[in-house]
Amino acid sequence: MEYILHIVIMLNIYILLVLSANLPVGLANLLSICQAAFYGIGAYFSAYFLLQWNLPFVVVALIVMCLTGLCSLVVSFASVKLKGDYFVLATLAFQMIVFTILYNWTEVTRGPYGISGIPSVKLFGIISLSGIYGYFALTTVLSLIVILLFGNLKKSPFGRVLTAIRSDELTVLSIGRNPARFKNYAFFISAAFSGLAGLLYASYISYIDPTSFTLDESIFILTALFIGGIGNIKGPVFGALVVVVLPEILRFVGLPDAMAANLRQIIYGLILVLLMYFKPQGLMGELKIKN
Amino acid sequence: MLLKIKNITLSFAKGKDSFKILNGLNLDVPKGKITALIGGNGAGKTTLFNIISGFQKDFSGEISYCHCGLDPQPPLRLENLRADKISRLGIGRLFQSKGLLPHLTLLDNMKLCSNDTSGEFPFAYLFRNKKLLAIENEKEMKAKNILTQLFGENNKYLGMLNAMGCDFSYGEQRLLSLAGLFMGNYDLLLLDEPTAGVNPVYIENIKDIIRKMVAAGKTVLLIEHNMLFVKDLADIVAYMDDGQIKFTGTPNEIINNQEVKNSYLGIE
Ligand SMILES: Nc1ncnc2c1ncn2[C@@H]1O[C@H](COP(=O)(O)OP(=O)(O)OP(=O)(O)O)[C@@H](O)[C@H]1O
Ligand SMILES: [Mg+2]
Repeated sequence: MEYILHIVIMLNIYILLVLSANLPVGLANLLSICQAAFYGIGAYFSAYFLLQWNLPFVVVALIVMCLTGLCSLVVSFASVKLKGDYFVLATLAFQMIVFTILYNWTEVTRGPYGISGIPSVKLFGIISLSGIYGYFALTTVLSLIVILLFGNLKKSPFGRVLTAIRSDELTVLSIGRNPARFKNYAFFISAAFSGLAGLLYASYISYIDPTSFTLDESIFILTALFIGGIGNIKGPVFGALVVVVLPEILRFVGLPDAMAANLRQIIYGLILVLLMYFKPQGLMGELKIKN
Repeated sequence: MLLKIKNITLSFAKGKDSFKILNGLNLDVPKGKITALIGGNGAGKTTLFNIISGFQKDFSGEISYCHCGLDPQPPLRLENLRADKISRLGIGRLFQSKGLLPHLTLLDNMKLCSNDTSGEFPFAYLFRNKKLLAIENEKEMKAKNILTQLFGENNKYLGMLNAMGCDFSYGEQRLLSLAGLFMGNYDLLLLDEPTAGVNPVYIENIKDIIRKMVAAGKTVLLIEHNMLFVKDLADIVAYMDDGQIKFTGTPNEIINNQEVKNSYLGIE
């Protein structure tokens, strides 16, 4: 039972991450490969605030989301000047820099040793949310709220402008909207909610180290997004479901012990490749991925 | 004059050489009239539109725009403004060979063309949902009104408001893009080849729409290769060649001009 709850909690965290990635990547057509950097920034800020201050969950969440959002401005400013591949490289650089800082600034982040003993979040300031059941409830409620929030966001006038930017920035400019401004908003929101995922992860696992927030992790998030499909809400949610649950299912396929781990990796990779081959627009996506 | 274009010069670098596309071009666009810009392929007509609407910078010369209505105000200079700012001043544009936004519904395409940007701040709907819904409804009413006025009562587009932009034929997309320009309260409309790729029945429709634009107090500057269309519609025609406006006149004067006949129309 606890095993299943753990998977659901991780699924909820990934739903936040993949939905956040969908905002710049799926809606604004900005291929960002630094989503894990925002996730990590959120986790480290959370560790600091949870260890140093005795604040209720909502307050920590708001602070962490704002701070992570502010960090996104570094990337947004790049998006104004750099187009296409150059922008992707800028996000790659950001990802590397964040990882390097987390890994090497040992006085603050404890570098490769990571930070342990991160306390659980305190709901309403008093009840310490502990145990797997508490986190199951909290992350499920939050992921449902975020699904609703992002669903509405996409249908709102803001989502309309973002969808337009994905198709044609010149048209957006010609009707008097500045695409750069909307991209900044999209990145801010994306980073903020990735930061929230970082908070949930850090306080749930109670230990973080830089290896959870690498380029690989960013690519993992994007993989989930592309498998599920970009643009709408059910695509990213479904993508998170596939990448989180599929490896767990493969655990139960009777594979010979000696090579189980490797075989699982191969099968997992193969399934992903086949999915992309037969469903290039993702399983539930709104549109084809274009370059 | 609504728009005064003075001494515009622009070169594009191609490899080592640089080509002068516009070479001291002057053009005046009078208010409330239809001005047609004609000229050969590659003459620089679209480039001139890009300059006016702020997409092309790095040129020399002056563009002044007088959006002042009745009270005398100094005309605004557009050279250093960004494209979205220029649009907000009241200059709208139909791009050469662009249709509707493919992944938005017709209604969203129309709403997006509105100059009212309220509610476009992320999560704004969480805080002032009622007011926002009212504004959205207003935009929808306006879109329906425009479609009714342009295409008649119970026209088929009213029933297709929720169809995606890419589901319309190219000609329809051009017509509907023109319709979208009524959503923003523009004073000057730059139409780049509104009839290209559109069948004769639709061309009559487009003529009609452009006349309605002028009747609504708008000024139109259009690029066109279809001379019958220009002859029917335009008040003033400007002929562009060698990076300059070579002649300006009424449609008849231009059509009978010997140089235009030889070098553009290809008749002796
Ligand atoms: N960004 C650019 N870089 C280099 N050359 C360009 C650029 N934009 C346009 N040109 C060149 O400028 C010239 C004028 O192009 P423009 O699109 O303005 O022509 P046009 O008059 O609109 O022609 P058409 O009637 O075919 O649409 C062309 O020779 C084109 O190749
Ligand atoms: Mg052109």
